[in-house]
Amino acid sequence: MKLNLQLDEKLRRFPIPITPAMWVMIAFIVAGVISALVRFAFGIGAISDLSYAYPWGFWISFDLYCGVALGAGAFTIVAAVEIFDLKEFRPLVRPSVLTGFLGYVMVVIALLVDLGQPLRIWHMMVYQNHTSILFEVGICVMLYTTVLAIEFSPVILEGLKQNKIAHTIHKYSFPFVILGVVLSTLHQSSLGSMLIIEPYKLHPLWWTPILPVLFFVSAINVGLGMIIVESTLSANAFGQGLETHLLKKLALVDVFVLLTYLVIRFTQLALAGHLHLLFTSGSMSLLFWSEILVGSIIPIALFSQEKIRENPKTLFIGAIFVVGGLMFGRFNVSWLAITHSDPLTYVPSFMSNVDYFPTLPEVAVSFGIVAAGVLAFNLAAKYLPLFEHSEHA
Amino acid sequence: MTTDTIKHKAYLFDATRCIDCRACMVACSVENNIPMDKTRIWVAGIGVKGEYPNLERATMVAHCMHCEHPDCMSACPVGAYSKAADGPVSYNADVCIGCRYCMNACAFGVPHFDYDKGLVDGAFIDKCTMCPQRIYNGQEPACVATCPTDALEYGEREELLKKAHERIAAHTDRYIDHVYGEFEKGGTSYLILSHVPFKELGLPEMTEQPINETTETIMEGTIPFAVGWAAVLTAVAGVSRVINKKKETATAKKEAAPHTEAKQ
Repeated sequence: MKLNLQLDEKLRRFPIPITPAMWVMIAFIVAGVISALVRFAFGIGAISDLSYAYPWGFWISFDLYCGVALGAGAFTIVAAVEIFDLKEFRPLVRPSVLTGFLGYVMVVIALLVDLGQPLRIWHMMVYQNHTSILFEVGICVMLYTTVLAIEFSPVILEGLKQNKIAHTIHKYSFPFVILGVVLSTLHQSSLGSMLIIEPYKLHPLWWTPILPVLFFVSAINVGLGMIIVESTLSANAFGQGLETHLLKKLALVDVFVLLTYLVIRFTQLALAGHLHLLFTSGSMSLLFWSEILVGSIIPIALFSQEKIRENPKTLFIGAIFVVGGLMFGRFNVSWLAITHSDPLTYVPSFMSNVDYFPTLPEVAVSFGIVAAGVLAFNLAAKYLPLFEHSEHA
Repeated sequence: MTTDTIKHKAYLFDATRCIDCRACMVACSVENNIPMDKTRIWVAGIGVKGEYPNLERATMVAHCMHCEHPDCMSACPVGAYSKAADGPVSYNADVCIGCRYCMNACAFGVPHFDYDKGLVDGAFIDKCTMCPQRIYNGQEPACVATCPTDALEYGEREELLKKAHERIAAHTDRYIDHVYGEFEKGGTSYLILSHVPFKELGLPEMTEQPINETTETIMEGTIPFAVGWAAVLTAVAGVSRVINKKKETATAKKEAAPHTEAKQ
């Protein structure tokens, strides 16, 4: 059979005109690549402030903990459409799955920079340690990235005018839908379980054996927030109609998700007898309340008002609080609330560095990866049939 | 949690005897060919306490505790750590992927990482091995053999524990009545006696329950949970579709009804 390589109208517009915004992205990517090359040549210490006391820093907090959480929009909306059969939300599926897929690819690239032995990433599949939560996270992220690629492949095939294959994949996609939601549930929650092993380092306002439950609920919360943010941004950037009538429903659902989160969080603190720490832990109390205020209370206050849900602008602002607050919370639990025991006069001196602050090249690597992701989304939105409209649903 | 079953070698450290000479550090580096700036063993303490002339200082020799339930071993995604039946917790650089989760998992901050090595040299973890090249040849670990004040001792864990408790009983005024590592997180193979609170030596207060039992229980539940969750999701998907079909046919009938009336 001869392969039909006719291209979709959109794809024929190659090569791409490079806009000033794209040049900025490219500059970020170049800075990130240079930093990463220095790291691969001279070691992690050459470009980062990571140390004996802080083996994990900005890369893990931002790229892994925030990156995976922000990719939760894909499984949230896929579950709503394919499992709860809420067909009206179908127009949001493709952009969310693409955001998720690019997000996970970004996480994997970032981890390759952070790993001491990036060329041995396959060891996770061969030398499996079944007691390790990180093993579970690693395998789930690998599998789920593959599932997202399969879920997104019909869009690319349609772009290549291979509608028959695209239709076949779509027809048999249900097992992948279930697999994707199960894998997401597992690794979104396991990112929390990963911290259970640090009870003597993570502050008791954050440490609890039910961290996986909190992580899963907050992943759904930020998944809904990300769909609103990403839909609004695409609507502005690509002149697509904004599906406010759908997004406002997501915002209302998010109010209940956020309330659930707050109830679980404070019940846990009460049962563990840690309520007094809410006001007596100094900077940790401050971090805790900032996280709760920005990530939970403000979004609840905004999204619970119909007037705010109806207006695309205020809806977007509410979603920004959801996403920002979630990121702040993930930074807390994976970095800021992790304390080194009382500073000791260690010998040798390299061990007494108990402060950590990300360096410029460290941040450049992460931002370079984000810029590459944004650029890829941009290109996909321009050249692939990414946006379906409500009437097609 | 009982530690009666632990029958193997261990260290005993007595903080009242440590004079902070750091000969152990030198001996360890020479024996294992480790540069001093990457030492596997170090001396920790909170420094000088009190006001002149009543000054006090306590130091502790710190290296791998060779836990009975090692968190590093439990946490390592590729199983680079192992616990030998006779005590040592060892690390295998050949499978390590350099993720540094062991450094986070270890409550004592033992594993170290080569932050100064790129892809060509390979960046690995390093930590105390209990000197297998010496102990399996009838010698004591290098740090123990060198210690000039017998602050570090090596032997059968049971005997060392007996010795430690006898020492506490003989000098109740001197020691805190506790052997750190006897029960902490299910027991360690590095036992510590001290005259100052253990916290001042950098040792966290711990429960007897090893924390990795919690995470390993979670891991054991993963596959059953995944299967159950997949079944629940499939059932929900089925039920949702049936309900929606019914609704659709109901609305279709309603819409169709006025049409037929109009025709008549």
